[in-house]
Amino acid sequence: MRYIYSIVKADYLQRTRSYAFLITLAITVYAAYSFVPPPTASYTTLNIVGYKGVYNSAWVGHVSAMMTTIMLSLYGFFLINGGIKKDIDTEVGLIVATTKISNFGYLLSKFFSNFLVLLTIMGCTFAVSIVMFFVRTTGYPFIISDFVVPYLLFAIPALLLVSALSVVAEVFLGKRSILQYILFFMFFGTMLANVTNLKNDNTAIIADAFGVRTMTSSIRNKVNTQYHENVAAINLGFTFNSHKKAFRTFVWNGVNWTGFFLFSRFLWICIAFALVYFSSFFFHRFDVKQRFGKKKKALIKDHMQDVKITAPVGVSMAALPPVVADYGIYPFIKTELLLLIRQGSKWFWLITAGVWVAMLFAPFNISYGYLLPVIWFLQVTRWSELVTKEKFNRLHYFTYSSYKPLQRMLPAQMFAGILLALALALPVIVRSIVTLSFYPVINIINGAIFVVALAACIGIVSGGKKLFEIIYFLLSYCVVEALPPADYLGAIPKENPLAYVFTMLLLNTFLILTSFTVRSYQARHL
Amino acid sequence: MPLEIKHVTKKFNKDKTGLADYSITIDKGVLGLLGPNGAGKSTLMKIIATISKPTEGTVFLDGVDIVQHPDNIRKILGYLPQDFGVYPNLNAYEFLEYIAAMKGVGGAGLRKRIDMLLDGVNLTADAKRPIGSYSGGMKQRIGIAQALLNDPKVLIFDEPTVGLDPEERVRFRQLISDLADDCIIILSSHIVSDIETIADEVAIMKNGRLLDKAIQPDIISKVEGRVFETLLDSGELTTFKSKYLVINTSRQKEKTKVRYITKNNEMALDSTAVNATLEDAYLFLTHNA
Repeated sequence: MRYIYSIVKADYLQRTRSYAFLITLAITVYAAYSFVPPPTASYTTLNIVGYKGVYNSAWVGHVSAMMTTIMLSLYGFFLINGGIKKDIDTEVGLIVATTKISNFGYLLSKFFSNFLVLLTIMGCTFAVSIVMFFVRTTGYPFIISDFVVPYLLFAIPALLLVSALSVVAEVFLGKRSILQYILFFMFFGTMLANVTNLKNDNTAIIADAFGVRTMTSSIRNKVNTQYHENVAAINLGFTFNSHKKAFRTFVWNGVNWTGFFLFSRFLWICIAFALVYFSSFFFHRFDVKQRFGKKKKALIKDHMQDVKITAPVGVSMAALPPVVADYGIYPFIKTELLLLIRQGSKWFWLITAGVWVAMLFAPFNISYGYLLPVIWFLQVTRWSELVTKEKFNRLHYFTYSSYKPLQRMLPAQMFAGILLALALALPVIVRSIVTLSFYPVINIINGAIFVVALAACIGIVSGGKKLFEIIYFLLSYCVVEALPPADYLGAIPKENPLAYVFTMLLLNTFLILTSFTVRSYQARHL
Repeated sequence: MPLEIKHVTKKFNKDKTGLADYSITIDKGVLGLLGPNGAGKSTLMKIIATISKPTEGTVFLDGVDIVQHPDNIRKILGYLPQDFGVYPNLNAYEFLEYIAAMKGVGGAGLRKRIDMLLDGVNLTADAKRPIGSYSGGMKQRIGIAQALLNDPKVLIFDEPTVGLDPEERVRFRQLISDLADDCIIILSSHIVSDIETIADEVAIMKNGRLLDKAIQPDIISKVEGRVFETLLDSGELTTFKSKYLVINTSRQKEKTKVRYITKNNEMALDSTAVNATLEDAYLFLTHNA
C-alpha cells in the first residue's frame, strides 16, 4: 500500500499545483457563496414553487451539501478526467508499466487521487457554507452536525463514484474524451431525473447515486403538511424568480436518516470500488499503440513497402529557389482550419453533421436555444486546443520566435475558430435572415466570438485546456437550462436587445484584449 | 553582421540565475557551445532566438538591439530547439508550409523549396504521412528542414544531433559546414566530438558564465602537455582520483587504463603523455571553474 500512497501523493500534487486548479477553486468558492443567496435575491438554489426554507443550520448545511454534490459531480468529472491520459502523453506510463505495480493498484491510486482533488474542493465549499451560515442567518443556533452529516452522506459517496467513473471512462474509452463527456452527462442526467422522481420506494432510494432525493422528499413533505399543498415539483440548482414574487418560508429541521438510506450510500461506495476493480481487468497498461494504433501501424507498413529507399542527398542551400517574403495570415488560417477539422475522430463529425441537419428542420427556438449550444459544445476540445495546442505539442518555440506572432498567429487562430463556429451555426443564421430577424444573427456572431475568445483567454491564462472545458460545459448546461445570466447566444428574449449586443461586444473585447496582453508577455518569457 | 551579447543576465527567480553578466561576440562561422547541464546554453539560445527576455543586458545584431526589436532577427532566424514538437495530424509538407507562413516565406517557389528541403533531409518518401507516425530521427530531420526554410542568416541548433543515426549525423555535420560560410551558426551539444568536428570556435560555459571562448587549438592548448595515460590496479583508482582529474577509464584485462590531467604538472609513475583533445580541455576548464 506504500507505493499506492506515493503515487496518489505525487498525482495529487501534480494536479493541484496548477493555475487551472486554483482558478477552479476560486470559482467553486464563489459558487459556494451563491448556494446561500441573500433573502432579497431573485434566485434560489432549491425551489419548491414559491417556498423557501428559513436559513437555519439544517437548511444551509443540507442545501449547500446537496448543491456541492450535484455541481461537483457534474464538473468534477471534467476536472479529474485525463489522469491516465496524462501518463500516456508524458510517457510516465511506460515507466509505470515496467514496475511491479498491479493494474488494480495503479487504477486504485488514480481513483484515490481523483477523489482527493474533488475532496479538496468539497472542503472549501464546506468551509464557505459555514461562513455563509453566520453571514446570512440570525436567530438560529449553529449545529455542526447539520453540516458534517449531509456532506458525509451526500457528497462523499457521490464523489467516490465520479472518481471511479472517470477511471472506468479512461480505461474503456481511451483518448475519446468527447465520448466520455457525453456518456457521463447522460449518466448524470439520468441520476438527476431520479432525484426529482416522485416515487419514494426503496428502489428509488437505492438508485439515487447522489442520495439527495431523501432530502428533497423530506422538504416536499414539510411544505405539503405545513401549507396543505400538493407540491410535486422541486427544482434543483439555480432557479430564477422572474416574477419577483416573494418566497413563502417554512422551518425545516433536516432529514431523519434511516438505516436503509445509510445502506444505499454504502452500496454506492462499494460500487465505486467494484468499478475500479472491474476495469483493472481491461486496463491497457500503457500498451496503447497496440490497442489503439493497430490500423495506423498496418497502413504505415503497407506504405513503407512501396517506398524506394533513396540515398541521402544533403541540402544545397544555393540550389534552393529564392525566398519570397509573404507576411499575410491566410496560410495560417488555412492550416488552423485544417487542424481544427482533423482534430478528433472522423466519426464524431457524423454526430455533428446530424445535429447540423436537425438545426435546419427543428422549430427555430429549439435550433437556436438548444441545438446550437449543443453543436458548439460538441467541439469543446477543438476550442480548448485552439491556442493551447502549440504548447501541448511543444511547438511554441517556433511560434513565439516567428515573425510578429502576436499580430499574425493569434488572430489567425481566433479567426479560424470563429469561422468554424459560424459554419456550424449556419442553419440558424440562414433561417434568421430568411425571416428578416437580424438580432439573432448579430447575437450568434457575438456568441461565436465569445466562445472562441473565452477559449483563447482561459487557455492562455491557465496554460491548459481543462479549465475552459469545465467552464464551457457549465455554461452550455446553463444555456440549455435557459438561465438568463448564462445566455451568451441571446436566445432568451431581452427587454433591451441593443444593450445586450453592446454588453457582449464589451465582454468579447475584454477577453480578446486579455488574451493578447498575456500572450504578448508569454511569447518573450519562455 | 556580428551578434553581440553584452552583459546579459537572466534571473528566473531570486535564487536561480540562468546567465550572469554574460558577454560574447559571435561572427560568421560555427560557434560550438559546451557546458554541463544547467550551464545556461539553452537560456542563451532562447534569448538570441527572442523567446526569452534578459533580466539585464542587451543583444545587438548588426548594431540593432534585438531585445527591443525582436522582429529584426526573426526574419532571418533558423531555430531548432532542444525539445521541440510537431502537430501530429499534419504531414511533413503541410507542417513545413505552416512554419513557412510563420517565418513569412511564401510565393510560387515555396512548394519547390519545401520539396528540395524534404529531399535534402531524406523525407520525400514519407512527406505525405502524418508526422505523428514519424520516428525520433525523422522528426529531428523535419526540425532541421524547418530551420532552413527562410534562408536564415542566424542559425541556432540546440542539441541537433539527438536522435540522428551515425550516417545522419555525418550528413548534418556536412550541412553545417556548407552553411557556415554565409551564416552565424550557434550550436550546442553534449557530444564533444560533434562540436570538435563542426565548430570553428568553442565557447565553454558553466553556471551561467562564459569560461572561455576561442578557436579550438587555443582551447586545447590550455591542457597541452598535461594529459597522460597510465595503467592502474582496480583498487588504486579511488586514491588516484583524489590526486588527478580522471578523464576516462577503460578495462584492460586485470588493469584499468586511465586517461588523466595533472593538476600541477606532476604526472603519475609509468604514465605516457598523449595528445590533448577538446574533451580534455572542456573537462579541465569546467572542473577547475
